[in-house]
Amino acid sequence: MATSFKQIEQNLKNEARALLESGRVALVLAYTRGYDDRHPLPYTAKCASDADNIIFNEYCNANLARYLVRHPRGTKIAIAVKPADSRAVVVLIQEEKVHRDDLIILGIPVLGMKNHKTDEIIDSRTTGGLYNPVLCDILLGEEITGEPIVSPYDVLAPYEAMDKEERWAFWKKELERCIRCYACRKACPMCYCDPCFIDLDKPRWGEKAPGPGGNLMYHLTRFHHLAGRCIDCGECYRACPVDIPLHLFHKKVAKECEEMFGLAAGMSIDEKPALVDFRMDDSDAILE
Amino acid sequence: MCSNNPYIPMPVEIIKIIDEVDTHDQKTFRLRFLNPEDAKNFNYLPGQFAELSVYGRGESPIGIASSPTDEGYVEFTVQRAGAVVPGLVTAALHDMEEGAKIGIRGPLGNSWPIQFLEGKNIVVVGGGFAFTTLRSLIRYILYGDNRKRFGDITVIYGARTPGLLLYKEELAQWGKLGDIKTVITVDQGDAGWKGREGFVPAICKEVAPSPDNTVAVICGPPIMIKFTLPVFFDLGFSKENILTSLEMRMKCGIGKCGRCNVGYKYVCSDGPVFSLAELEELPRDF
Amino acid sequence: MLKKISVDKISDLAARLMDKGTLVAPVREDAGHNFRKITDAGQVDLGYYNTLMSPKSVFLPQKEDFVTYIAGRPLEEAKCIELNPEPTFLFGVRPCDVRSFEIMDIHFIGTGAVDPYWSRRREATTIFGYAFDLNRPAEPTDFYTALGIGAADPEGSDVFMILKGDELLLKAFTAKGEKILSQMDILSESGADDASYFDQTVADGRSFKTRFINIDAQAVAKKFEELFHNAQFWEKVSDGCLSCGVCTFVCPTCYCFDICDENLFGGGTRRRVWDACMFTDFTLEASGHNPRTKVYQRLRQKICHKYSYHIRKYGPISCVGCGRCTRSCPVNIDIFSIVDEALRA
Repeated sequence: MATSFKQIEQNLKNEARALLESGRVALVLAYTRGYDDRHPLPYTAKCASDADNIIFNEYCNANLARYLVRHPRGTKIAIAVKPADSRAVVVLIQEEKVHRDDLIILGIPVLGMKNHKTDEIIDSRTTGGLYNPVLCDILLGEEITGEPIVSPYDVLAPYEAMDKEERWAFWKKELERCIRCYACRKACPMCYCDPCFIDLDKPRWGEKAPGPGGNLMYHLTRFHHLAGRCIDCGECYRACPVDIPLHLFHKKVAKECEEMFGLAAGMSIDEKPALVDFRMDDSDAILE
Repeated sequence: MCSNNPYIPMPVEIIKIIDEVDTHDQKTFRLRFLNPEDAKNFNYLPGQFAELSVYGRGESPIGIASSPTDEGYVEFTVQRAGAVVPGLVTAALHDMEEGAKIGIRGPLGNSWPIQFLEGKNIVVVGGGFAFTTLRSLIRYILYGDNRKRFGDITVIYGARTPGLLLYKEELAQWGKLGDIKTVITVDQGDAGWKGREGFVPAICKEVAPSPDNTVAVICGPPIMIKFTLPVFFDLGFSKENILTSLEMRMKCGIGKCGRCNVGYKYVCSDGPVFSLAELEELPRDF
Repeated sequence: MLKKISVDKISDLAARLMDKGTLVAPVREDAGHNFRKITDAGQVDLGYYNTLMSPKSVFLPQKEDFVTYIAGRPLEEAKCIELNPEPTFLFGVRPCDVRSFEIMDIHFIGTGAVDPYWSRRREATTIFGYAFDLNRPAEPTDFYTALGIGAADPEGSDVFMILKGDELLLKAFTAKGEKILSQMDILSESGADDASYFDQTVADGRSFKTRFINIDAQAVAKKFEELFHNAQFWEKVSDGCLSCGVCTFVCPTCYCFDICDENLFGGGTRRRVWDACMFTDFTLEASGHNPRTKVYQRLRQKICHKYSYHIRKYGPISCVGCGRCTRSCPVNIDIFSIVDEALRA
């Protein structure tokens, strides 16, 4: 039995208010009502009265971890995280973009998040399929137990049934409709490079306008930049205006990474990221 | 399509390259149109700019340094950009030799308002590399009968060191003329420097030009502008009588691509010349 | 001239138009409908609310090649690419999008230098506007009525189309429209009550409701001018903004572009491509200075351009209330809400 969204919202508001009032944090990253109930906005509460504007419902999918790097290092921030978002926070801490001590992680166990475009339940097919945050300071609802554990990689079965030629054809077709709007890049909490490689002139890695060459260059490179770092929140897919299933490729790379190195990104703050850590017993499969 | 298309550059040949400064990163390129038609149609006034085009690299908006009274060629003084963001076009230009061919689109932008300046005294204040279009204005004013149309001309120009002064020969020539007052200064002199030392704002204060029927034309790096403007306000210059030239990142140069706006004005087509009064109306978005 | 055709014969009309030139019409795709160049007349699908991307790409393609060159070859050998568009039929454009063309005309051909690419494409194109279905409530994101656009406004279209039951009425409003309609022998003459139905629908379209606030161009331009230095306002409305750029790409009135030389294997093309003031490096200068480093500064530029600068420079508001930006925004930023908040600030 999961805590209701209404109750979580109440708990979130109360915690935010208390943290801001006491001055323990300078800001709280949460959500607020957008132009209607199904379209919440990410929200930065800066004082206790701002906490009144906070909401939480099944459409609050935005991964707030992406806003952490916007604030100067050292800012004390409380951040509301769902399970995948909490993994993003772990990776940002491991990559030293943010300090553990500067964060108060408000964990939200979730069951029943919905895609606002389709009203479909968001589950392991488009996210990591976890119910509880992997790291938090304050849990805003009852820990969820008893729900089926589904591998986030099950959804890859049809893709994995394809041979190399078919997979290449699949990605060429899917990426054809990319309009190079870069929503995927900005929605991803792990894409914080400034400048991003695709914006460089010297060298120019891909053409600026959409086209087979530039689209493949941009996406395939990004898939690899996220190897061992993608935490499977699925925001890239939800942000894409033309519904390209980017999350599939990221899941596939994450699966390979997990199989080779026994590590999934952001699951434990004590582990070193797979592609940063060197172990004597590392798999050589990467050389194949 | 391809003639009369404002996006397509006209071919020009580099007939002379002058190394202006001792750091060798500012050069003057003298260009000659390959098509006589293009030369005929390239009618400009001081203050305007053009997009210099190098296929394979891109384009760069550069102020015109020659005066329309200079016949048979048009000159641009180009800084080699690339200290922070790798420059493509200016680096390519600097690596070229005389005889190389590039493209040019222009003339673009508005100009120093010649009609407005006629009959008035003019104080020209320049700092460092920004002196290029001011030189165009001064050459224009000094040329033959033009001189009669304007009042007293005072030029205050400073660079960081003597080696960084542009157009050194010309500055020396102007110093010898009776109908123009030139005050050249450097932030820091060297062993051979016999002229003034001092920052441009301080020199302006010293020269103390009168605001009566006078227009100040000021071009320089932001820090120079910041400290020079108060000097002119204190001297009694009104904002309509202080002119400057803005620089923004540009691409099309003809007011279409939306990149160079400050408020509702496009710097490439409504500017780059603005009076301070006009600038005050615009949001501080630069 | 008022004609009609049965809805199930649309593909025949499409085929006839394809004989006369290029047909660009809505096609159903994975993520929604989009305007595409039609290769198979059966693809044309009028069963949509509005397209995902705006039809501006017909006049301002996302990629427009100017010149091709080869490295090391003399400058004079660079080839300027001639643009000679075929007669084009842009079929099924909603009134708000038709208005966007008129707004962009002022910028591209009505002021200063004439943009020859926009101009030629505009001249070659016949616009078949298409009324919104008045029996279907507007999407919550739309607000075109607040910008003075009616759900069945024929202004700006060469031919305007209105659905009447299982028939499509087509009325010519310009000489171009008359010409093409008279060439389409597949169309039937309209019936007795068709003309009054058409006019009534246009009138009803003017009172059709979308979300609405009173937006007076001069008042809103002034308001945003006053708000420019109010960092608190802009930080608040740009709180969740990712500064990604989707909004500008789907927007019918956004026109910013980049001109770049793109090289490949010793040759290359100088072209223009869509750009966005929302991108971080849009105003990055060669010196390294960037006037707009913060997200709120870029969002401020976009909103102020549409609701203030464009008005001061050209007259109309540079927005048609189509709602696409709000629908596509990954974090649900809503321009209508921002304008509303500004007017009340």
